[in-house]
Amino acid sequence: MRIESKVERQAPFSLQVEGETLRAYPGETIATVLVERSPVIGHMANGDAQGLFCNMGTCCLCMVTILPEGRRVRACLTAAEPGMEIGLG
Amino acid sequence: MAERYDLAIVGGGPAGQAAALALQGHGLAVAVIDEQPHPGGQILRQPPREFGVTGWMGGKVYAALRRQLGQFEALSGLDWLGGRSVLGLSRSSDASFVLTLSGRSGVETLRARRVLLATGCQDLAVPLPGWTLPGVYAAGGIQAFVKSQQIVPGKRIVLAGTHPLQLLIADQIVAAGASVSAVMFAQSRQAMARLLAESPLVAARQASALLPAGAAMARLRRRGVPVRFGESLLGIVGGERVEGVRSSAGETACDAVGLCYGFVPQSALPRMAGAGMRAAGPAGGWAAECDAWQRTSVAGLYAAGETTGVAGAAAAQCAGRIAGAGIALDLGLLAPGAAERRVAGVRRAHAKHLKFAALLDRIADPTGHFPVMAPSTIVCRCEAVRLADLVSCLDGRSANAVKLASRCGMGPCQGRNCEPTLLRLLGDRADPGFSARFPARPVMLGDLAAPE
Repeated sequence: MRIESKVERQAPFSLQVEGETLRAYPGETIATVLVERSPVIGHMANGDAQGLFCNMGTCCLCMVTILPEGRRVRACLTAAEPGMEIGLG
Repeated sequence: MAERYDLAIVGGGPAGQAAALALQGHGLAVAVIDEQPHPGGQILRQPPREFGVTGWMGGKVYAALRRQLGQFEALSGLDWLGGRSVLGLSRSSDASFVLTLSGRSGVETLRARRVLLATGCQDLAVPLPGWTLPGVYAAGGIQAFVKSQQIVPGKRIVLAGTHPLQLLIADQIVAAGASVSAVMFAQSRQAMARLLAESPLVAARQASALLPAGAAMARLRRRGVPVRFGESLLGIVGGERVEGVRSSAGETACDAVGLCYGFVPQSALPRMAGAGMRAAGPAGGWAAECDAWQRTSVAGLYAAGETTGVAGAAAAQCAGRIAGAGIALDLGLLAPGAAERRVAGVRRAHAKHLKFAALLDRIADPTGHFPVMAPSTIVCRCEAVRLADLVSCLDGRSANAVKLASRCGMGPCQGRNCEPTLLRLLGDRADPGFSARFPARPVMLGDLAAPE
């Protein structure tokens, strides 16, 4: 949940996660957008649901794909951008 | 960004900032590299510039750190290289260091005559049944969401472990408007009190460091948040996401869990550079060994802050100042006497903070409180290696040999999550763990093949 008290955000924009249109605020990381959507952010090597863990770039469990370029990034270190298309692993 | 620097500081937290500030005015070309876009480290992980946050990190406990951050951000003539990860650190033929960096736009390299590693620490990853369910976080990860992104990743959160920091995190979660279902300490309250009583002088002298945890606990109690001691986690339950925890006291419903069993140094870069390391402490992990000027065993390579052992932000600030003076000394910018005079007071403060950190280490010691894993419990999350997959390898082999046989530690995290667990399972105190490999952080092969 976004903290509302004592926090001012700018006008939101939209982006796509697995084809689903989501709202994000300037300055938010992809991880924030994903966690606000669901704690499930992909799948592990064994097929089980994957969540985010360290949120500081260390555990590397939040790798997502920025489409269409195909760049793999850590969601917790990467800012969400208007119109971005994100694929979950 | 230039191609050559006199000094590259890896990490813009309390230690890195302090070193940069200590070196200002000497005319050095300095770069500070950090994975976050803005300086502060995890302790002062800043909100995005696009947010307006009233009273951010306003507590007295953060005042000295905020002051230093302001001074650092006002420094001119320094290259702030935020949003970049250091993938590799090596020596070139002219004895300078080559750092391979990756950022949003690809791979870059820079050279530096000296390097200071101030890379901080990470939460200790603690496997237990159900810990890979979405909604289970490193406690520090939840705290970073609250501090920086201004979200709480759950509505009813359980914090569990052995480290008193979880009281502060719970307090911050409640202040943010979410609910904490329980804070569970695996150790008994009596055991914690006994340790404090055994070191009354250290505890009394560092009362200002203990007070925030006490105040947080009082506020949590007033708000009706249960803070329980002697309660061990048995497992985390849920279908596709967290629905609750099972503990020695029963079941507690929640939609997120923060695991708080302690912290281990970020050790990939000093290990890759071949620096001498030591076992970091009861939580596990490896710390870079340093001399009195924060020099590692590799000439020209320095380390300060949690990279040299987890001791808190105040100790990191002191070590950063000492490293700054040491680097100035080694570059001939300060005479030995002047360098020593500059840090005499800092050394006294540093020693005091280290004493307190040693006490906190004993209070927070997770040894003997680690949850019991099931055969199906995943140890290596990157490669989904279960305890059952490892058992047949635990026959006296080294960590590296187990890695080859089981894939444990072979994923993108380079073993940062699973290494402490595997070393505990191996029980061989002489095993140095996995060989540190390039890249320290994941990178696209295409970026490496075609650097900018």
